[in-house]
Amino acid sequence: MLRIENHPILGEIQKGRLVRFTFDGKELTGYEGEPIAAALKAAGVMVHRYTTKRHEPRGVFCAIGRCTDCVMCVNGKINVRTCVTPLEEGMDVRTQYGVSRQKPE
Amino acid sequence: MKRYDMIIVGAGPAGLSAAVEAAKHGMCVAVFDENAKPGGQLFKQIHKFFGSKEHQAKVRGFRIGEALLKQANELGVEVLLNAVVTGIYADKEVIVRHNDTVRHVKGDTILVATGASENMIAFPGWTLPGVMGAGAAQTMINLHGVLPGKRVLMVGSGNVGLVVSYQLMQCGCELVGIVDVAKKIGGYGVHAAKIARCGVPFYMGHTIVRAEGTDHVTGVVIGEVDEAYQCISGTEKQLDVDTVCIAVGLSPMSQLLDMAGCQMQTVSAKGGTVPVCNADGETSVEGLYVAGDVSGIEEASSAMIEGRIAAISAARKLGYLGEAPASEEISKLQASLEALRQGMFAPGNRGKIIEQTEEGIRISNSLLTKGYLEEQEIERFPGFHTQKGIHPVIECTQNIPCNPCQDVCPRHCIMVGDNITALPVVDENSACSGCGLCVASCSGQAIFLVNDSYDQTHASVTIPYEFLPLPAVGTIGVALDRSGNPVCEAEVLSVKANPAFDKTNLLTMKVPKEMSQKARFFAVKSSEQKG
Ligand SMILES: Cc1cc2nc3c(=O)[nH]c(=O)nc-3n(C[C@H](O)[C@H](O)[C@H](O)COP(=O)(O)OP(=O)(O)OC[C@H]3O[C@@H](n4cnc5c(N)ncnc54)[C@H](O)[C@@H]3O)c2cc1C
Ligand code: SF4
Ligand code: SF4
Ligand code: FES
Repeated sequence: MLRIENHPILGEIQKGRLVRFTFDGKELTGYEGEPIAAALKAAGVMVHRYTTKRHEPRGVFCAIGRCTDCVMCVNGKINVRTCVTPLEEGMDVRTQYGVSRQKPE
Repeated sequence: MKRYDMIIVGAGPAGLSAAVEAAKHGMCVAVFDENAKPGGQLFKQIHKFFGSKEHQAKVRGFRIGEALLKQANELGVEVLLNAVVTGIYADKEVIVRHNDTVRHVKGDTILVATGASENMIAFPGWTLPGVMGAGAAQTMINLHGVLPGKRVLMVGSGNVGLVVSYQLMQCGCELVGIVDVAKKIGGYGVHAAKIARCGVPFYMGHTIVRAEGTDHVTGVVIGEVDEAYQCISGTEKQLDVDTVCIAVGLSPMSQLLDMAGCQMQTVSAKGGTVPVCNADGETSVEGLYVAGDVSGIEEASSAMIEGRIAAISAARKLGYLGEAPASEEISKLQASLEALRQGMFAPGNRGKIIEQTEEGIRISNSLLTKGYLEEQEIERFPGFHTQKGIHPVIECTQNIPCNPCQDVCPRHCIMVGDNITALPVVDENSACSGCGLCVASCSGQAIFLVNDSYDQTHASVTIPYEFLPLPAVGTIGVALDRSGNPVCEAEVLSVKANPAFDKTNLLTMKVPKEMSQKARFFAVKSSEQKG
């Protein structure tokens, strides 16, 4: 389990409502308002996108919206920085391939 | 175009402190921060701060942040979030991108408090998911409550690397080791010691050779380095980790200032390119100030003071504060800032080899290379002495600006003196009551209570304990020494929590008498430790 339930200093972590969303079509849950990347991490998702030329995997790197490693396709829009974009109910989150939504053949 | 007395870029400790100070003097202030939440790095800092009372020592960073925000709200400071400042132009015009709109605002004075960015190093596999900045890991655990992984290697032994390592362990990650190409640990010895006694090895003079894995990190190879920091072949070692955190320094984010036409300089002691500025933090562009990490990498405590100085200076410039009271306030704050800049880790000492403490005591090499004091070394420091009955043993052996231990002791057993970098001295003549306030208040978790005459054959040792779950009274476990090696059986005699201890629990364990100067940590099962 990657979620911290009870922290020795911070106590119980305050979270929003538990909501459903999809990752590459698969249903997952996360807390409303937390970064999409946090919900994905808690679900064990490591790869957010593949680079354009060399198809190398990228995941969370800076977690503060600066490096763009974590961008994904969210609700049909590409290049969404998932580490700073709050999770909403029913979001459609997809791995990004280069600068497109489609996995290259 | 909307006009303010002061526009502040960045709502970290520097920016917020400045905003509070400026608003107190009646200035109309706006703060812009690119994040969804204010506070900069402060809300990620869950440990107790160093310094003295005036620097809010022994208060945890996030609580300082909460207090600052409350003050800012009460004073009606306008904090605009999700607002990125993209440029500062002639006549102090500031361009702000807020959501999808662009605003132009004007400030009679401007404070840039944009903080720093994390430095990175490239190595084979460094782009794999699972490799991340230490700041990223800290953000995930302390702001979002999610672990970055389960088994972590930390690269970098400065204070950021040490603090984040400990925080990762506190929320349940296993720390596989700390690697640094330097031969000596860069951060505070007290931070290193609290990690070492949990059994975490320090690989000093080592580098990360590569991160392994196809889609994400599944392991890492480290190796010893030669003089040129190249890996010596044959020394490679494979470690089983799923996460690699990088903490190899910070660089001031000073681009906005360069753009604004400030005269810049590159100073390695400040961490990179910073604007030239006077003692108030005013740059070569009149009325444009800097404070915090953007003007030179330091810490949150100094950032807060710098922010206040800049605000007071601006208040004086705009006539909100008279010359005399302003100068008086500023010199007080400067003295407070100066106090933080003393000791072995002072900016002026970077890169210097220090062999003795201010008191002329030979420093511990073991602490610098392995992260812990050897048992026989502790005796030469003034925090150590033996006496009948319960008494403190203080393992704080480097001159750092800090004195809460002296402040809290109701019986005046501990002395630091007026010079806050002096090593704490335990007074042999005062009667320690065993109240434990010093143990809980020590920002470095370096104070233990020892009672050599618990019974005929046993001693009791009280340690600061910030982990969960708390072991129950009566639990039989093992005592670990300063290096994290199990040394003997230990029984938990008591676990004390108290609001005054602020989440630092005091765990008292019973150990055989001869172990009282060895036992410094408690573990439930020995198999979980390296040993
Ligand atoms: C990973 C990490 C761990 C640390 N650990 C400790 C520690 O344990 N103890 C300690 O004392 N110090 C620690 N420090 C250092 C300490 O956090 C800093 O010294 C302190 O936060 C500096 O305060 P600041 O206000 O200058 O910057 P910050 O706290 O970084 O705040 C700057 C703010 O400005 C925002 N900003 C930047 N550019 C713009 C822009 N163009 N527009 C709008 N907003 C912008 C940033 O997003 C940020 O919110 C750590 C630093 C890091 C990075
Ligand atoms: S335990 Fe209490 S009385 Fe004893 S040294 Fe610490 S603070 Fe002072
Ligand atoms: S022993 Fe005193 S001076 Fe040393 S870290 Fe602890 S509180 Fe600070
Ligand atoms: S992880 Fe860097 S932008 Fe999201």
